[in-house]
Amino acid sequence: MNTSNLVNTPPLLEIRDLSLSFHQQAQVAVDRVSLNLAAGRTLGLVGASGAGKSSIARAILRLVKPDSGEILFKGKDIYRMNPHDLKATRQRIQLVFQDPSVSLSPRRTVEQTLREPLQHFAIGDADHQRQKIRGILQTVGLDQGALNRYPHQFSSGQQQRIAIARALITNPDLLIADEAVSSLDVSIQAQILQLIQMLQKDFGISILFISHDLAVIRQIADDVAVMYQGQLLEQSPADQFFSGPSHPYSKSLLSFAQGKTPSGWPDDKWYLERTRQSTGDASTCVFSGYCPDKMPVCERLEPAMHDIHHKNQHVLGPYCVKCHLYDEVKINDH
Amino acid sequence: MTTPALKVTNLSVWFENGSSRLTVVDQISFSINAGDATGLVGESGCGKTMTAMAILGLLPESGVNVRSDGIEINGRDISTLNTGQRRAVLGRDIAMIFQQPATALDPVFTMGQQISAVYRRHTGGSKQQARKSMLQALESVGFSDADDIAASYPHELSGGMRQLAMIAMATVCKPAVIIADEPTTALDNSTRALILEQLKHLRKLHRTAILFISHDLAVVRQICRDVMVMYCGRLMEKTDCQSLFAHARHPYSAGLLSCIPQISDTQPPPIKSIPGQIPAPADLPLGCHFAPRCNRAEAQCRTSIPQLDCDNGTGAACFRPL
Repeated sequence: MNTSNLVNTPPLLEIRDLSLSFHQQAQVAVDRVSLNLAAGRTLGLVGASGAGKSSIARAILRLVKPDSGEILFKGKDIYRMNPHDLKATRQRIQLVFQDPSVSLSPRRTVEQTLREPLQHFAIGDADHQRQKIRGILQTVGLDQGALNRYPHQFSSGQQQRIAIARALITNPDLLIADEAVSSLDVSIQAQILQLIQMLQKDFGISILFISHDLAVIRQIADDVAVMYQGQLLEQSPADQFFSGPSHPYSKSLLSFAQGKTPSGWPDDKWYLERTRQSTGDASTCVFSGYCPDKMPVCERLEPAMHDIHHKNQHVLGPYCVKCHLYDEVKINDH
Repeated sequence: MTTPALKVTNLSVWFENGSSRLTVVDQISFSINAGDATGLVGESGCGKTMTAMAILGLLPESGVNVRSDGIEINGRDISTLNTGQRRAVLGRDIAMIFQQPATALDPVFTMGQQISAVYRRHTGGSKQQARKSMLQALESVGFSDADDIAASYPHELSGGMRQLAMIAMATVCKPAVIIADEPTTALDNSTRALILEQLKHLRKLHRTAILFISHDLAVVRQICRDVMVMYCGRLMEKTDCQSLFAHARHPYSAGLLSCIPQISDTQPPPIKSIPGQIPAPADLPLGCHFAPRCNRAEAQCRTSIPQLDCDNGTGAACFRPL
């Protein structure tokens, strides 16, 4: 965990008021989300399926076009970059997908797969590339015999190692892992988590780790961000989050992850909502329909994102929650 | 002594590849009583799904060999049935819940049509009766708007709803046994909790015996009383969940448990993993299949096969248990 450069340096990745929708804005995937990721930290992004987690990852890579908002990488807006800067930036941001059996090309050997990013970004000559490929294989724990084999000749854990090697070979500053261990068996998952922990420690790489599994997030994240129906409801340091999350939704998520039904939880099957509530309606809290701590104001007014640092001055990193329960604190503060 | 709802004796599944034999399920035996749930856990490729498919008789007839000394449902052997006889059993006496409801359900029929079809196939009842039972099945899995769901096509439902609808389909004839193959693996935590609640509820309601297949021990613990740990086609340990979590006796079970990430207030210690990889079915080691990855293995483990000693129904197939 890297805390030294948190204070002065600007965040490596800064997302400001990002909104993203599909089907002519009929379906809001991401709704005014602001997020920070400092260099060397790992941010765990959690939420149920459909919360907008993957849409954020895709927006960071400029694979989809947001409706509004900015994504700054090292202080530069990636949506306003010229092609040259964009290419350079893409080298610094790499992605690992959920299922390696479909994210690796079945017709390329491991060596071909690993060489392509080097050729694309014109990194080194042939000799240097060969060295780099051998080095990265060692880093992810595969032997050199893997070079001439095809993805189907590997187990799923080995395939995910290859996918991670492909992402790492360009020396990225930011690794986005979108449910990268979710489809793996627990024993393989443990091996891949060990590998990621080694990368954090030895390479100081920043990771945006998207997962619906809080136990996995606990294992590797420094900070936790919680999304619900496209909105960011909370961003907290992991220790604070896991010893007591701030938002009522986060509390229920944590309870479910611990195999308990949250206390005060409404009986109706809220998870079975067939249609998403419209998030375009800014006059309520998105979670007010199911919130056990609902107050009258929650249905009248969308809560603001409250910085809750002042109670915990020693806490580093973003610490904020979007909930009316924290209005009082704010008012007293001023 | 009561007759178990499901009793499997010495079930083996293997492929023949020229002169060599690839064994994927190796002589496994177990039984589940009515109203009980037993978990079958292990990593991908260990033979869990093969076991399920072999019990149901759904493996293709050519290429795959299935042998057993009996697969009994409430005392009746279904392993010797022909295809026609088997069709009468599947869905009525034993049903399956698959991992991916999106691919297991038929996209061109409504949920109501699909569930009613199962009912009518087995009972020959009228359309009205079928509709009534179908709606009851949907209500029993927790849908308050069963009419609405019945009129929906699978793609109109969310993943969790589809899985519930498939459970309704599996239970519409109130079978004695349900095999659930990774029914919650594709779902997020809150939906998973709901599905597990519904399965528990149905188990009590109809006294259904459930064989719950999963790679996730934490989930198995939430729903099953007993658990079997499978590795490379063999049962390594058979015990109740409480004992397994308190004191796993097989080193493989203990290794699996240590791989589960835990949620704690403080920064957890780095996660542990089992060294090495699962051997391919073509080059399984002699003796105990887990021996090459086991830090307790000695000479005997590499030459002879430890048997699952099950005097009282529990035990570990290990020469040097923990």
